[in-house]
Amino acid sequence: MCVDGEFGSVRILFFLMAILAVASVRAGAEPVRVASLSTVMADLARDIGGERVEVVEIVKPGMDPHIFEPSPGDYRSLSNSRILLASGLGFEGYLDKLRPVLEKTGVRLVVGGEVVEPIEGACEGHDHSEDHHHHGTADPHWWQSVSNVQRVARQIRDALITIDPEGQGTYEKNAAKLDARFEDLGKWVRLQIVQLPKKNRVLVTSHDALGYFAKDYGFEILAVQGISTSDQPSSQKVRDLIVQINARGVKAIFAESIENPKVLGQITAETGAKPGGVIYADGLGSGETGTYEGMMRHNVTTIVEALK
Amino acid sequence: MRGSPLLRLILVAGALVLLALPVWQLTRNTTSPIPAKPAAVAEDLADYRVILKSSGTARLQAMVANQPTISSAIGVENFEAVFSMSANEPEDIAVFADFVDLTRPSALRVMVEKSGEVLVEKTFWGTGVVEDVVTIPAK
Repeated sequence: MCVDGEFGSVRILFFLMAILAVASVRAGAEPVRVASLSTVMADLARDIGGERVEVVEIVKPGMDPHIFEPSPGDYRSLSNSRILLASGLGFEGYLDKLRPVLEKTGVRLVVGGEVVEPIEGACEGHDHSEDHHHHGTADPHWWQSVSNVQRVARQIRDALITIDPEGQGTYEKNAAKLDARFEDLGKWVRLQIVQLPKKNRVLVTSHDALGYFAKDYGFEILAVQGISTSDQPSSQKVRDLIVQINARGVKAIFAESIENPKVLGQITAETGAKPGGVIYADGLGSGETGTYEGMMRHNVTTIVEALK
Repeated sequence: MRGSPLLRLILVAGALVLLALPVWQLTRNTTSPIPAKPAAVAEDLADYRVILKSSGTARLQAMVANQPTISSAIGVENFEAVFSMSANEPEDIAVFADFVDLTRPSALRVMVEKSGEVLVEKTFWGTGVVEDVVTIPAK
């Protein structure tokens, strides 16, 4: 009996040690490394992936993604990742150059623009021979529509499940919570915009980046530049814009977070419109605008307060 | 030219003033007049009847931009509000229901009519508070 009892204790001890060993392997498991060329998609991946994911932002908040070019260090960083997130629709003009690298290293490319319904964007004064920025006629700023972001969040969830099937439950639960938050966000935006009479829904911005927002909420865009920050407005276009702003009685003009607001300042000085504040068009900022929800709430509040 | 020096002085001074006048008009610092806004076109207005039905007793409200909010003073299950808006481009309508029962899932049915014609019908769900926006489809 005594021998049997000792043997039983040893078995229990081994069993407990085995459980501890498995737990420590799980606790020390490498998180799925996700590289991102989009600050918005990085935010989604962090929310959906939770602790199972490590997100590396190649394009960081505050950078101008229109003129960004990956450095050799960035190439190394994204080669060590399992997934690369990109906005697509021509936003990253260098993406085609990255594809062979990604294929060779087995990095899964997730392009947000592939799951949204693109709208046409304005493009003018833009040198299409420039290597760093190519785009078609589609507007790549799909994140300015909450429903588009919901679609892309589902796309990221599915990519994470494919790469890390063990985490399926976590990814599905987190994505469902995020989707519910975006439903609330969409409703909040509608309830803010309803305060603006339709005749006031004219957005004058640096570049034409709010097309999806305008489509969702019935705004008209009068942009100084085309859909890229590298587009240059002609002096005739600026003159026409001043005439339109005066004729429409536009109340406010908005600067963008990553641009030199000099031209907008000049237009403001020559029209009756006041500076409406800074909005985030090309990606997230920092502080309260460091998350997608924060960015949208900031933009909508700024727009409604200025145009009311 | 002969004559009184005073008369000659007055004539020369007059000539100089006449010459200087157009120059002064061109160079004086004036503020450009603010371009006149196009004359307000008489807008074609129409009455839009907003009919709210809630699944339980609730304080019901409807609101459009630049008009006073219309709300039931007490908890009700049916409520109507009429807004005068552009016949061509009516505003969006925000609707709210604050239910007495804050725990049960509740619904708010919204119908918008113009001259007896139903333009839009929607139902919103929530718990405790139901709020959303109704857009009248363009014709």
